[in-house]
Amino acid sequence: MKNNILLLKTLLLSTSLVNTYKHCDDKKKKRKIVWSFIGMFIIYAMILGYSLAATLGYGAIGLTQAIPMICVLTISALAFFFTFFKTNGYLFNFKEYDMLMSLPFEAKTVAGCKFLYMYIKSLPWYLSITIAMMIGYEIFAFAPVYVLIEWLILSLLVPIIPMLIASFFGFLIARASVGFKKNNIIQTLFTFMFIIFCFSFRYILEAMFRNGNVEETLEASYEAIENAANTYLPAKWFAGAIVDGSISDALLLVGVTVLLFSVVFHIVGRSYRQINSALKSHSASKSYKMTSQKKHSVVTAIAYKEFKRMTGSTTYITNVAIGELLAVILSVVTLIFGFDSIVKVTTQNAPFDSAVLQPAIPFIIYFLVGMMASTTCSPSLEGKQYWILQSLPIRKEQIYQGKMLFNMYLTVPFMCLGVLCLCFSAKVPVINTVLYLILGSVLCAFSTAWGCACGIKHMRLDWENEVEVIKQGPAVALYMLPNMFVVMGLVVGVVFLGMRINHALLALIFIAIASLLTAVSYMRAMALAKKT
Amino acid sequence: MLEIKNYSKSYREGKKAADNVSLTVESGDIFGFIGHNGAGKSTTIRAVVGVLDFTEGEILIDGHSVKDEPMECKRVTAYIPDNPDLYENLTGIQYLNFIADVFDISAEEREERIKKYADLFEITPALGDQISSYSHGMKQKVAIISALIHNPKLLVLDEPFVGLDPKATFVLKEIMHEMCDQGTAIFFSTHVLDVAEKLCNKVAIIKQGKIIASGTMEELTEGHSLEETFLETDNNEK
Repeated sequence: MKNNILLLKTLLLSTSLVNTYKHCDDKKKKRKIVWSFIGMFIIYAMILGYSLAATLGYGAIGLTQAIPMICVLTISALAFFFTFFKTNGYLFNFKEYDMLMSLPFEAKTVAGCKFLYMYIKSLPWYLSITIAMMIGYEIFAFAPVYVLIEWLILSLLVPIIPMLIASFFGFLIARASVGFKKNNIIQTLFTFMFIIFCFSFRYILEAMFRNGNVEETLEASYEAIENAANTYLPAKWFAGAIVDGSISDALLLVGVTVLLFSVVFHIVGRSYRQINSALKSHSASKSYKMTSQKKHSVVTAIAYKEFKRMTGSTTYITNVAIGELLAVILSVVTLIFGFDSIVKVTTQNAPFDSAVLQPAIPFIIYFLVGMMASTTCSPSLEGKQYWILQSLPIRKEQIYQGKMLFNMYLTVPFMCLGVLCLCFSAKVPVINTVLYLILGSVLCAFSTAWGCACGIKHMRLDWENEVEVIKQGPAVALYMLPNMFVVMGLVVGVVFLGMRINHALLALIFIAIASLLTAVSYMRAMALAKKT
Repeated sequence: MLEIKNYSKSYREGKKAADNVSLTVESGDIFGFIGHNGAGKSTTIRAVVGVLDFTEGEILIDGHSVKDEPMECKRVTAYIPDNPDLYENLTGIQYLNFIADVFDISAEEREERIKKYADLFEITPALGDQISSYSHGMKQKVAIISALIHNPKLLVLDEPFVGLDPKATFVLKEIMHEMCDQGTAIFFSTHVLDVAEKLCNKVAIIKQGKIIASGTMEELTEGHSLEETFLETDNNEK
C-alpha cells in the first residue's frame, strides 16, 4: 500500500502544473500555467452549465427520478470511451517503463497506479457533470443533505467501473497483439475493430429490442433509461442508493468497484511484463541492401515523417484517424442502405424530407473528418526530437507547412469519398456535388490551419506521455470543442437556410466564408511559427 | 569558419550558464571544447547550432550571424547531439533520406554518401529497420551519417564518442581527419582528454561558463599532457 501511494504521488507530481509553477523561475512559463488553469476552469464551467441545463430539462419533463441513472450512464459512457482511447498510452509502452520496473514495485502495482493516475487526472471532468446533475436533482427532488453527501461520495466511484472495463479491453487487445511480429499495427487494427463494434452496438441492441416487440417500451423515455440501467447494474445501484436510500445498493457499488479493481489488476499484472516487453521490442530484419533513393521537397519530406510518426503510435493513430474511419463507415453504409434509410435511422423516423439535409452533407462529413486535426498535436509531439528540425536549415514556416500538408493528405481523400458517396446516394445534382467537394476540401484546409495555429500556440515539448498532448493538451481542447459545437450548429443552420436559399448558392457562400477563415487561420499559424 | 564573440547565456537571475565566451575555429581546425559536467559546453554548442536562443554576444558561422541569418548558418553546419533522440518510427534509411531531402542532396549523391559511411560504420544491414530497434551506439552512427550526408563546412559534435564501439570510434576519428584535410572546421566537446590530445590542433577549457584557457595544443600544453594541463588550469581557477 505504501508503495502504491508513493508511486501514485510521484506520477501525479511529475506531471503536476502546480509543481512546475512552484519550482519554476520563468515568469512566462508561470503565466502560461495560470492561463491553462483559467482555460480548464472555463471548460469545467461550460460542462457544468451544459449538464445543469440538461438536468433542469429532465426535471421539467418529469424525469426527476431518472436523473441519477442518467448521470451514471452519461459518465460511464464518457469514461469508457475516453479511457479506451488513452489506455494504450497510459498503461503500456510508456516512456518510464524500464525505470519503474527496475525498481522494487510489483507489476500489478505499476499497472494499478498508472490506472489510478489516469482516473485522478480525468476525475474533474466527471465531477463537473455529476455535481451539476446533483444540483439539478436537488432543485426538483428536495433531497436531504445526507443524500447529496452520498451522491458526491458515490460519484467518485462511478467512473471507475467503466474505466476498468475499457482498460481491460485495452489490455486484451494489447495481449492479443503480442503474438504478432508487427504488434503495433495489429494493436491499431484491433482497436479500430473494437471501436466499430462499440458504435454499432447501439443499433444491434435496438434491433434486439425490436425483435422482442419491446419498441413500445423504448418509446417511453423513463422506461428506456431504466432498461439501460437494468443492463448496466452500477447505474441501478447508484439510483437505488440515491432515490430509495438503499444502503445495500451503495455498499454493492463500493464493493464491486474494489473487487473489480483487484481482479482486473491481478490479471493485468500477470502478463504486464510480457506485454510491455513485446510492445517495446521491435522486429529488426538487418537485411537491408542499399537501393536507389528518391529526392523529395522539404515539405513533402516533413509530411512523410509525420505519416510515419502517426502510424508508429497506436494512441496517435486511433485518436487522429478515428474520424476518417467513421467517414468511411458512413460512406459505405450510405451506399449500401441509401441516404434516406440512414437519415431515418439517425432521426428515429422523424417525419421530414431527407432532401433538406443535402446542403449539410459536407458539414456532416467534416464533423467526422475534422473531429481532430493531426496539426493540433504534432508540434508538441516533436518533444525531445525538437532539436532535429530546429538545427536544420528549414524555415520555421516550412516545418508547419509540412505538417499541414500531411493533414491535408489525411483528410481530403476521406472528405471527397464521404461527399461523393452521400451525394450519389442522395441523388444530389452534379453541379452541387462538385461544389460540396470544393466546400469539403476548403473545410479540411480550415481544420488543418486552425489546428496548426492551436498546436503551435499551445506547443508543449516537455511531456512524459504522448497521451498528455494527444488527448489532454490545451491545444486539443481549444481545437476540438469549438469546432465540434460550431459544426453541430452549422448542420442545423445550413438545413434551415437550405429551405430558403438555392443549395448551390448556399454552398458558394460557405466556400467563401470557409476560405476566408482558412486564410486567417493559416496566416495566424505562420505568424506563430516564426516565433517558435 | 566559427567565431563566438562574447557569448553569454543566463538561465536564472544572476546565474550564467555561459559567460562572455569567445573563441574562433578556422577551416581545417579540429577544435576540442573541454570542461567539467555542467561547465557550459552543451549550452554553447546548442547556441552555435541554433537550437538555443541567446541575447548576449554574437556567433558567426562562415561570416553569417546565427541570430540574424540562421538559415545560412544551418545550411553549412551539421550537429550531432550527445544523446541523439531521432525519429524512432522511421527506419534508418528513411531518416537519412529525410535529412538529405532537407539539404536538397541529389539521389546519386545521397546514395553514394550513405553507402560510403554506412559501410564504414557497418550499419548498412540495419538501415531498413526502425530506429526504435537500434542500440544507443547504432542511433549515434545514424546521427553521424546524417551529419555527414551534406558535406558540411562546420561539424559540431557534443560528446561524439560516448556509446560508440572502438571500431566506430576509430572510423569517426579517421573521418574527422579526412574532413579536416578537406577544409571542414570541426568543433566538438569531450571528456576524453586522450582523444582530444591526439585529435585536436586547438583546445578551449571552459569552467563555470567561462573560458579559462584557449589556444593551439602546443601553446596550451607546453610539453605536458592535456590531462595535466587541464587539471592544473582547473586548480588555478579555484
